[in-house]
Amino acid sequence: MIQSRHQLSLNGAAVSFAAGETVLAVAARAGTAIPTLCHDSRLEPAGCCRSCLVEIEGRPRMAPACATPAADGMVVATASERVARHRRTLLSMYLADQPAGPERGGHSCELHAMADEFGAAPDWPKMAPLRAGRADPNPYILFEPDKCILCARCTRYCDEVEGVSAIALAKRGPATTISTADGRGLLDTSCELCGGCIDVCPTGAMTEKMPRTAAAPPERELEPVRTTCNYCGVGCQMDLNVDRAANRVVKVTSPPPGTTTNDGNLCVKGRFAYDFIGHPDRLTTPLVRAQDGSLREASWDEALQRAADGLRGVAERHGRDALGFVSSSRCTGEENYLVQKLARAVFDTNNVHQCSAT
Amino acid sequence: MDERQRAQVLGALQGAGGLTEDVAALVGTQTGVPEAEVYGAGSFFHLLDDTAVKLRMCTGLSCAMKGSRELLTAAQAAGLPAAECSCLAACDLAPAALREREVLPEFGSAELDAAGGDWHAVRPEQAAWCGAVDALPGELAMDLAGERDRSGDAFARAAELGAGAVIAEVDAAGLQGRGGAGFPAAFKWKAVRRETAETRYVVLNADEGEPGAFKDREVLLRRPDLVVEGLAIAAAAVGAREVWCYLGAESGGPWRSLPAEIDAAKGAGLYDGIAFHLHAAPGAYICGEETALLEALEGKRGMPRLKPPFPTQVGLWGRPTLIHNVETIACVPAIVRNSGAWFAGLGRTGPGTKLYCLSGHVARPGVYEAPLGVSLDELLEAAGGVVGELKAFSPGGASSGFLPASESGRPLDFKSLAEVGSMLGSAGIVVLNDAVNMAEAALIQLRFFEAESCGQCAPCRIGTRFLREALEEAQRPGDGEARRAALRHVADAAWQMNEGSICGLGQAAPLPLTSALKWFPEDFEA
Repeated sequence: MIQSRHQLSLNGAAVSFAAGETVLAVAARAGTAIPTLCHDSRLEPAGCCRSCLVEIEGRPRMAPACATPAADGMVVATASERVARHRRTLLSMYLADQPAGPERGGHSCELHAMADEFGAAPDWPKMAPLRAGRADPNPYILFEPDKCILCARCTRYCDEVEGVSAIALAKRGPATTISTADGRGLLDTSCELCGGCIDVCPTGAMTEKMPRTAAAPPERELEPVRTTCNYCGVGCQMDLNVDRAANRVVKVTSPPPGTTTNDGNLCVKGRFAYDFIGHPDRLTTPLVRAQDGSLREASWDEALQRAADGLRGVAERHGRDALGFVSSSRCTGEENYLVQKLARAVFDTNNVHQCSAT
Repeated sequence: MDERQRAQVLGALQGAGGLTEDVAALVGTQTGVPEAEVYGAGSFFHLLDDTAVKLRMCTGLSCAMKGSRELLTAAQAAGLPAAECSCLAACDLAPAALREREVLPEFGSAELDAAGGDWHAVRPEQAAWCGAVDALPGELAMDLAGERDRSGDAFARAAELGAGAVIAEVDAAGLQGRGGAGFPAAFKWKAVRRETAETRYVVLNADEGEPGAFKDREVLLRRPDLVVEGLAIAAAAVGAREVWCYLGAESGGPWRSLPAEIDAAKGAGLYDGIAFHLHAAPGAYICGEETALLEALEGKRGMPRLKPPFPTQVGLWGRPTLIHNVETIACVPAIVRNSGAWFAGLGRTGPGTKLYCLSGHVARPGVYEAPLGVSLDELLEAAGGVVGELKAFSPGGASSGFLPASESGRPLDFKSLAEVGSMLGSAGIVVLNDAVNMAEAALIQLRFFEAESCGQCAPCRIGTRFLREALEEAQRPGDGEARRAALRHVADAAWQMNEGSICGLGQAAPLPLTSALKWFPEDFEA
């Protein structure tokens, strides 16, 4: 608990807060859950989904907890009948605008979970479908606008976190949607296909195109297996989402923001390039070449011996500087250190480089 | 990225003829704004978005009652690139059409026939036009029929008085914002004045769009002198050196009269040290909301900001900003010249005179200057009476819902109308006779709000569509039970829109339906 001179009243209890905290943050710390859809701790508050509205004494209108700075003496109510009716009618309205049908594979819908928790009238009629999807040949990211609630987490993430701004809110009124410039495919934009838009989407309007994910059970039935991405040396942590029944990885996600160095982010390789895991062409044992050039399986000892003999042979025949060592950008700092040590101490050459150095 | 460069986005899109393919990328390169954001901003405004449409018909209440929907159908049948649009601020000269950027008042089917399927031939010659103005007896704060005054006397008087005394006069006048909210003007002047930031701005909201309102148009056409001098007085009083005018791009006449007046004043050496900028408003009703307007001025989508903070603290480009409607500003010179007490004394149940717009089923539609608190009965008398039998009226545009004829003696002021769940708004009074079915009238207003919702928050974006679908369902032929059932969630949806929406648009949008249901339930049974 932060010890602070600042205090407000939350549902009748005095709660301390630090200057600059929002009502939402103060409530979360005090263990009072306030539902949110457009909130992401990495983004500037938008206050547009309206699910976090709370009553604040002295204000005629309810205020968004995510965008309201805590203030001394503020009296906040999150459990009043007015707030409950607000959540109920808002969620009823959201659901009336959502297509019927099951969740998309590999995903869970925050909106439906929220409706289950806070109640939504089941008898609001479904509204006429409005926004048709657009064909986009990119291989990874699928956008289904009829599931979109325009929380703008994806566009704000793309702008504020990635600095890419490939997508933005477009059009107006009921036609409002997420779009690239001129509605082009993502491959014809500044999009880096990082898939962050999928990660932040609360309803599954943005999802993986890969059939493996689409055929998977809902996210809550997948088992996350934490690992370190080995595509580069940054050391991003990621969760391989494993479908235990099929015994395979069906999608990759980042641990939540604020928990690991990558702060909830992944790149296109980390998020999407996992097909190799179960690919039939994948090498699972060392191969060495026979005299006729064909490859055969070998032990690690044999393979390493063959490599060492070959390298020594070049040095003996052509001199030590006939050898050069280039380490991969996938190597960690420690591995890069070992490569230059190998070059200098073992093979006695300064010809060593790292491919991501310029 | 430079904030002034971003502010060029909408103007650059307009200069490029709208959002045709690759224009977003081009403007993005010119301004340094990501192309997707340029596209997002441009596609928000209907005058930039659909470039193929050359002819637009207003389908607002006053124009719809004069057959604008039938005209639209005829235009489309004739092969013209025509679509509907929201209010063009010409309700007194209904039905109104828009040919590219030029409003065509009193548009008729004969003109469609004459065009022969070529939109270029639709009333190609534009003559300057304005509407009718009149006033009730007594002294007037604006006097739209009066002579223009380019003496700069009020500004000089304000300079003599000093900023503190000028604000005290505005305070004594009790001047309330004429854009719709009725917020005390002096409160905002004081708030901007006391900010410590060196740079402040004055912004003129001249993007009139409330269906039923066309008063700002007449002020700008007839008395732009009052507007320019009022702006200069306000700028000097709050310590601003720049004035930004957000003027409807389709307001052909005002686009000529306002810049001409600014040039004339500058040419006469008036208002030294105050720079006037004009910014075209490319078509979005929501940009009448002050923070949405600021977003548009900054070159972004016109989505209202969360308040607080208010523009007086964090306004244009984050600086303290005073925003006023055209009519509010036009009252300022008379207040300075004659005193705040004089202005306050002009009104009846509230301070000042007010411009009331009369359209719909009324003999002489037009703008009437009258003491604040005048009744509809008195205005109708001045306007030659109702065409037919008075059934209902909308006292302050679409946002004010409907009131029954029995309320026609009620003072038309901010407080008295609020007492019956309505509002004075921008005093765009639409008069409806007994030939009107109120369920149909409500549907016209719901369609308007649905089209003009900015789409930012769910209660408004979904709610406006939900109510419209419910009402359409209730109007389908069928048994009464099913029709009543179609409206069973209206009260909850309206409650949610009122409580949950970010801005006044969504909060007021259910009112046409809920008020029609309240006063005219029989119109939903037929």
